[in-house]
Amino acid sequence: MANDNPIKLPTYLEVPAIKKNAMAGNGPFKASEDIQNSLGFPGEKVDNWQQVAIDKMAETKSKYRSVQVFLDACVKCGACTDKCHYYLGTADPKNMPVARQDLFRSVYRRHFTFAGKYFPRLVGAKDLDENMLDDWYNYFHQCSQCRRCAVYCPYGIDTAEISMAAREVMNVIGVGQKYPNQILGKVKKIGNNLGMPEPALKDTLEDLEDEIKDETGVDVKLPLDVKDSEVLMVTPSADFFAEPHIDGLIGYAKVFHESGVTWTLSSYASEAANFGMFIGNYDVMRQGALRIRKAAIDLNVRRVIVGECGHAWRVAYSFWNTLTGIGSGGSDEYSLRLQKQLDSNYPQPQHMIEFTYDLIQNNQLSFDKSKNDHRIVTFHDSCNVARGSNMGDIKNGQFILPREVIKAACDNFVEMPKNTIKSSTFCCGGGGGLLTDDLIDLRIKGAKPRMHALKKTEQESGVNTLAAICAICKSQFSKVLPNYDFDPYMIVSVHQLVSDAIVLKESSDDEV
Amino acid sequence: MAEILGAEVDEEGYLLKESDWTPEIAKSMSEEDGIELSLEHWEVINFLQEYYKEYEFAPAVRVLTKAIAKKLGNDKGNSRYLYSLFPYGPAKQGCRFAGLPKPTGCV
Amino acid sequence: MSLISIFFTFFFYISVLIFIIGVSYKLVQYWNTPAPLKIPIAPASLNTSGVLIRYFREIFLFSSLYKSSKWTWLFGWSFHLALALLFFRHLPYFWPGEVPLILYKTEVLKYSSYLLFFGLVGLLIRRIFVDRVRYISSPSDYLMLLLLIFIASTGMLMTFGNNHPNMLLVTNFASGLITFQWSELPKEVIFLAHIFPVFFLIAIFPISKLLHAPGIFFSPTFNQVDNARKKRHISDWALNKEEGSKIDLENNDNEKY
Repeated sequence: MANDNPIKLPTYLEVPAIKKNAMAGNGPFKASEDIQNSLGFPGEKVDNWQQVAIDKMAETKSKYRSVQVFLDACVKCGACTDKCHYYLGTADPKNMPVARQDLFRSVYRRHFTFAGKYFPRLVGAKDLDENMLDDWYNYFHQCSQCRRCAVYCPYGIDTAEISMAAREVMNVIGVGQKYPNQILGKVKKIGNNLGMPEPALKDTLEDLEDEIKDETGVDVKLPLDVKDSEVLMVTPSADFFAEPHIDGLIGYAKVFHESGVTWTLSSYASEAANFGMFIGNYDVMRQGALRIRKAAIDLNVRRVIVGECGHAWRVAYSFWNTLTGIGSGGSDEYSLRLQKQLDSNYPQPQHMIEFTYDLIQNNQLSFDKSKNDHRIVTFHDSCNVARGSNMGDIKNGQFILPREVIKAACDNFVEMPKNTIKSSTFCCGGGGGLLTDDLIDLRIKGAKPRMHALKKTEQESGVNTLAAICAICKSQFSKVLPNYDFDPYMIVSVHQLVSDAIVLKESSDDEV
Repeated sequence: MAEILGAEVDEEGYLLKESDWTPEIAKSMSEEDGIELSLEHWEVINFLQEYYKEYEFAPAVRVLTKAIAKKLGNDKGNSRYLYSLFPYGPAKQGCRFAGLPKPTGCV
Repeated sequence: MSLISIFFTFFFYISVLIFIIGVSYKLVQYWNTPAPLKIPIAPASLNTSGVLIRYFREIFLFSSLYKSSKWTWLFGWSFHLALALLFFRHLPYFWPGEVPLILYKTEVLKYSSYLLFFGLVGLLIRRIFVDRVRYISSPSDYLMLLLLIFIASTGMLMTFGNNHPNMLLVTNFASGLITFQWSELPKEVIFLAHIFPVFFLIAIFPISKLLHAPGIFFSPTFNQVDNARKKRHISDWALNKEEGSKIDLENNDNEKY
């Protein structure tokens, strides 16, 4: 995919002057009636939508302390105004985190606060009218819920919470976004975002086993629905379908093969991603998590491990135990059942990176690092992993472990500039339910800060490989890299690097 | 709803009903995208359709590349080549020309 | 008592009453609103002491703001520090009866009013001249700063100018508010102009962005311990939902494989 007119990047990333309405528009495609109904939302905008929306706002702020406190606590200090990649890439002032929140906050003030009811102009309170709803739809779908702004807010105000609340309100009045809602319908019906049925999954996995056998001569398995396995592997379905994701899946398989730990994928819970988070709906998110719990129980596994998917890891690490009692500490029937079934020697769930890291620490994997000598690698911290999770249960483990895994497989590792990595990482530009073709303009512009950091690193240290542990990041980068004069094939899974360098023992089957 | 040669398509240009597909529709779609369908394009489209018939799903890009390698030779069985045929992605653009639903998810 | 003394006495109590009732209402509201999900923001604390350290750094050092914008930090931190110091500087006025010696030493804190003025003017300039901050500002945001600048200016004019009101009257009035032994206040316009906006700000505290002060303690991104895998975190409404749905169990018993 050559690009004739790559976007020129300045030598340092400037904070643009505001350009009002730079990204004004109708927003992404709206969900059809069928799609909306499949999730239990109204098929089209309800007649008394204003009242329904205000009622839903009242309910949401009474159920989520984050929403209530964040709506009150902002002092408009402006600290967040230059932190959002979509603002930096588009200059539209409504993409400044505080201004995005204010779309919601101004309605909150108008309807729920004394000052806003009686002195609306003084405090910037506004009615929820058609124009406001259009702005909500447009600009809450220009937020990737990456939470970078929250890292910089003196009160920890998290725009993602507001954007989730706003999307939930819009769904409830019948104004949903096609991309995430269509996908959620497929998860409900088939079990994964792709809508990939079991026979296709089975065929694909067998195909991959053949490929590994051809390349390495070793029988590495990708088991599906194997009961009583040690590990249930839950990975984003993009790993079964897309490039470069699939090489990461091959990497997991090789690591499991070397570890000797039995593992299985599930055709029922063939999706780690959980777009229920993006639309801010607790029930939908819980349904997604319940599928995985059911698969864990039915397959009678001892451990649950999650593949390379950013928001999935946030949902798994931070929310699964809440949603389904999959880890320890729960006292309901299922939690107790799972606690008995799952191996308490390991945190539940674990990330594949944690699994691989532990094997490396215990010298159970051997690598031929020269296989990656042609690469100079940098790591893109995916936002949901970086800002919403942990690995290894050590402080900053979510930054340390992936880097250690990369360094175990590659000799040439470099970092991107400090204010663009770890907790300050810039979103790839496609997260939060925005990875859809109808938002491609936004995605290209939103990638600018990350692309800028990458360009700088390329100039300084010749980096030619960008590693990530998120399916969205990988797809987004393959698409937008050419726009910034990079090779789209420079984006790889961390476990692809592992896969390329790992030295496989002959499997016992071969010795017979 | 928009139409192409009398067949209904969704807002992204994918046929609503696979059974509406005709080779003329594929040609018309590709012309709109500025692509002239070659023999290689047709190999891809045919394979997508065959695979879909069996699995009710489009093949993974890896499966597609291998199938194409078998049919057109190893030098063409890679994703770079497929992208040169279908600049918007062999899965998405290929499926559209083939009259199949758009692959969704983090792809 | 003169009408004006009665007015200000009354105004003070009304303001304090609104403050207490309003802030209590908000505290109860925040307290009663569940945080159903674990959403600590990086750098998240893995234990309670980590959370305490985080709050210490945020409240006394404004560490997140420091990371964000050095100028905003400089102005904002100076202003809040000076505000805290000047609070102690004003304590002797309100102290009922014999004032402890230590409070007399707070006299020297009067110089922090320069810091207050500096911080506030800095914030105002930033609000006016940085296009992004101007865009997000409402009239109330300017008004709040202007009120504070006005309070600081009148205070400084009284302290450092030739406009000293009668200190005995000030002390009797202020401590009288605490002991309910009301007395006349000094009638100098500059003094009245100093305390009026102070009382006003006390009154609007619970209905304005001043709620950031109690709000920060309830911010789930700050106050949650990052231990979701170890300890189940669940809200009452979510738990009720779980108990209401028996379908889960039926599904699980009806094995797929």
